[in-house]
Amino acid sequence: MEILDYDLVILGSGIGGMTAAIHASRKSSARLSICIVTKLHAMRSHSVSAEGGISGVLYPGKSDDTFDLHAYDTIKGSDYLADQDAVEILAKNAPGEIKFFDHIGVPWNRERDGRISQRAFGGMSLKRTAFAADKTGFFMMRALYDEILSYGNIDILHEHFATKLILEKDTFRGIFAIDLNTGEMKLIRAKAGIIATGGASRAYGFTTTSYSSTGDGTALAYNAGLPLKDMEFVQFHPTALIPSGILITEAARGEGAYLRNAKGERFMERYAASKMELAPRDIVSRSIITEIENGRGLKHESGFDYVLLDMRHMDKEVIDGRLPMIKEITVKMLGIDPAEEPIPVRPAAHFTMGGIHTGIDGKVFYGKKDPAKGLWAVGECACVSVHGANRLGSNSLSQCSVWGRIVGEESSDYLKAQAGFERSYAMKPGEEEMERISGILDRKGTVNPYSLKSEMHAVMDRKLYVYRRMKAMAEAVRELHALEKKIGECYIEDKGATYNTNLRDFLELENLMTLSIAIAEGASRRKESRGAHAVVEFPKRDDKNWLVHTIVQKGRGGKPSIYYVPVKITRWKPQERKY
Amino acid sequence: MIRASRYMVLLYASMAGVPAMIFLRVVFGIFGMASLQDAAGFLAGVGLVVFGIVGFVEVYAHPQNKHIEQVNEEAGEAHVLSPGAGRDTIVMSISRFAGGGKGIEMKDYRVKVSKFTTVLEALLMIKETQDSTLSVRYSCRMGICGSCGVVVNGKPSLACELNAEKTAVDGCVKVEQMRAHPLLKDLVTDFDDFFAKHKAIRPGLYRKDGKEKYEAKKEYKQSQEELNRFLPYSYCIMCGLCLDACPISNSNAEFLGPQALSQAYRYYADSRDQDGKKRLFDVDALKGIWGCEFAGACSHVCPKGVDPASAIQLLKNEAAKSILENGE
Repeated sequence: MEILDYDLVILGSGIGGMTAAIHASRKSSARLSICIVTKLHAMRSHSVSAEGGISGVLYPGKSDDTFDLHAYDTIKGSDYLADQDAVEILAKNAPGEIKFFDHIGVPWNRERDGRISQRAFGGMSLKRTAFAADKTGFFMMRALYDEILSYGNIDILHEHFATKLILEKDTFRGIFAIDLNTGEMKLIRAKAGIIATGGASRAYGFTTTSYSSTGDGTALAYNAGLPLKDMEFVQFHPTALIPSGILITEAARGEGAYLRNAKGERFMERYAASKMELAPRDIVSRSIITEIENGRGLKHESGFDYVLLDMRHMDKEVIDGRLPMIKEITVKMLGIDPAEEPIPVRPAAHFTMGGIHTGIDGKVFYGKKDPAKGLWAVGECACVSVHGANRLGSNSLSQCSVWGRIVGEESSDYLKAQAGFERSYAMKPGEEEMERISGILDRKGTVNPYSLKSEMHAVMDRKLYVYRRMKAMAEAVRELHALEKKIGECYIEDKGATYNTNLRDFLELENLMTLSIAIAEGASRRKESRGAHAVVEFPKRDDKNWLVHTIVQKGRGGKPSIYYVPVKITRWKPQERKY
Repeated sequence: MIRASRYMVLLYASMAGVPAMIFLRVVFGIFGMASLQDAAGFLAGVGLVVFGIVGFVEVYAHPQNKHIEQVNEEAGEAHVLSPGAGRDTIVMSISRFAGGGKGIEMKDYRVKVSKFTTVLEALLMIKETQDSTLSVRYSCRMGICGSCGVVVNGKPSLACELNAEKTAVDGCVKVEQMRAHPLLKDLVTDFDDFFAKHKAIRPGLYRKDGKEKYEAKKEYKQSQEELNRFLPYSYCIMCGLCLDACPISNSNAEFLGPQALSQAYRYYADSRDQDGKKRLFDVDALKGIWGCEFAGACSHVCPKGVDPASAIQLLKNEAAKSILENGE
């Protein structure tokens, strides 16, 4: 076991993690030793797949847009489950972050006068989404990675898979990771940590996300006894390409694309007459499934039911200049030129609204009221919460960058006040973890982890999808707990040290299973329909009983225990949500 | 796709113009004919600038649609909504390597694919159902993370962007590891050296207003023309395929290679960057831009249409121009 010491360790190299690294370093005048630990090559994290853009009121005063309007849209979009004080921080700080990314090299699309262009997005009252074609996340990632290379005090450990978060009671002490290239086990001790590992949409079989979106940091936090919040709220993106699930950005509709059913009708008229295709994602996804369930969908030869995303009426220059990747993807994957032919789409798991329970400053909670010491979470793995029950498109990139800066600076301030470095505690948990990993490799089981993963996907795809039924959710809880028991019987065929993705896949499956159960446990209890959680038997939102955040925490005997905490309502009282 | 004329113009500029200019300057310099030297320099300079302008016009004639055109050509006549495709079995012939003294060996696997299965999905199907020891690097499966660069039927490609059935030749898809990067296991190669070269060209915008860069109170304005100058080169996903295709990178480990050099141009050409001179100076070397012998293979295999070959010729042009204009 190799031992490494740092002031700050950042787990994950997406937009949240890398932004935090830069600002932690800046705030400390490059005095901190910082280590980014990532299971991929740092520039390849799932943030690269973000397409449509980043929200932010860039020109208040010069347009009709205001921070309050951005906040209101976000809160209404969240179905009033977002914490309103946090949403105001998002709205106020997002424009500055867009400018920051301008300063580090993102090639924003521009207006004639050289200003940054903004496009329409679902649930946003006005055009407030800045974009770099339809590769916004990719460009932000490359800018961050290139920027970080000039920092002598930031090390990147590429392709290191973290398997344990080490806490001494409420205080962060380090992490344990496997170097995938060599199989070497590493104990990385640090005075502070930031978790930035992204979402867990790979709990589902049909998803827009990268293979790597397995919620590792969220599961590690749960296993370390830390609380998770609102896990039942999973966003289904309305327009995922079939059969692969690859994302077709909401910006396509922002730029004017229509959704049509088998009869050729623009069916959104029935569900959101004023916003049509630009209603928030939960509403559009439900509308698509309703159309399909009422026999107005189409049947694909791959077996999927679907509807059509129609871009034929759009200007070809708009498609080529503002949506080039969509064209590239549909041509390469299906041989479809979107200017000539509609694209087959259906809703797919896309974003984890829930995550590690943090305060408004990104600090991870330890108990019901107290934060952990020296530990923050940022981005999709964290739940602040600004997205509540349903995230608006383009709010995730702003969330990652706004809280990336906040937790970076906060951790730097925290470290300034830390005198000593407690190194000894982490040794024992590190050695135990090393034994656990070796034990997994030595195990003589009979279960193929990939078959087990398929079984988990089947439960999630069928029973915790866009529409949920009480009986099905109760079954899902039972079935997932039964599948979890089989994890111990999994057999790892690859015994090698070098680039053992068989072992990594198993460890990811463990994490996904943990989070699937958290999703199912939260969902099966929430007897109302709010945002992305739509229960057939309880079609209405119930503010009297359920205007609360769900907390799942590992209880006695390892069983999940559930409790609820209030939602922060400041200036926007819950109203009926209509578009 | 890639138009030869574009390169030829730049090729003349970089291969004919520069030596001619150096020759004239050296010859007249030896004879102490300072005024003639200046005149010759001036003439060579004018020639180069003309070549340069023509080259720019050629390169920027279609910068936006370049990769789309390429895509269309490759897409063929496939049409998903046509019914009746069954499940076919193809053979995946995969290069396996696990170290420990054993060399690389090709191993065949039979896989049932649909007409939608990609080469990456076929590889993962093998891993999940036949041989879990197979290793391949992958993540986004949509051609944007740059992980899954392998050599398919002899051509460096992203495994996630290729349809398995359509790629098969006589029912077989041959998948091998890239050769310009050291081999780790099976299809997985080591990128440390590749990343070091990228770092060596000092990517990232350099700004003199350091405080503003991070506090970001203002906005740097940029016109569409200024944006177009570097945009095509900013699509690089760091997949490493260009390096694998480059004959120089494969024979000279010192050469910075098409990826790093294209990124040097990307930042050099960005109107927001304030470090142009130093950037040019850094790559003006034999292991830099002058190492390129213009095979153009990098641009041919780039899955994102970045065209590193043109970036390198543009840098040669800029380097030559700066020598003429500034003497050094």
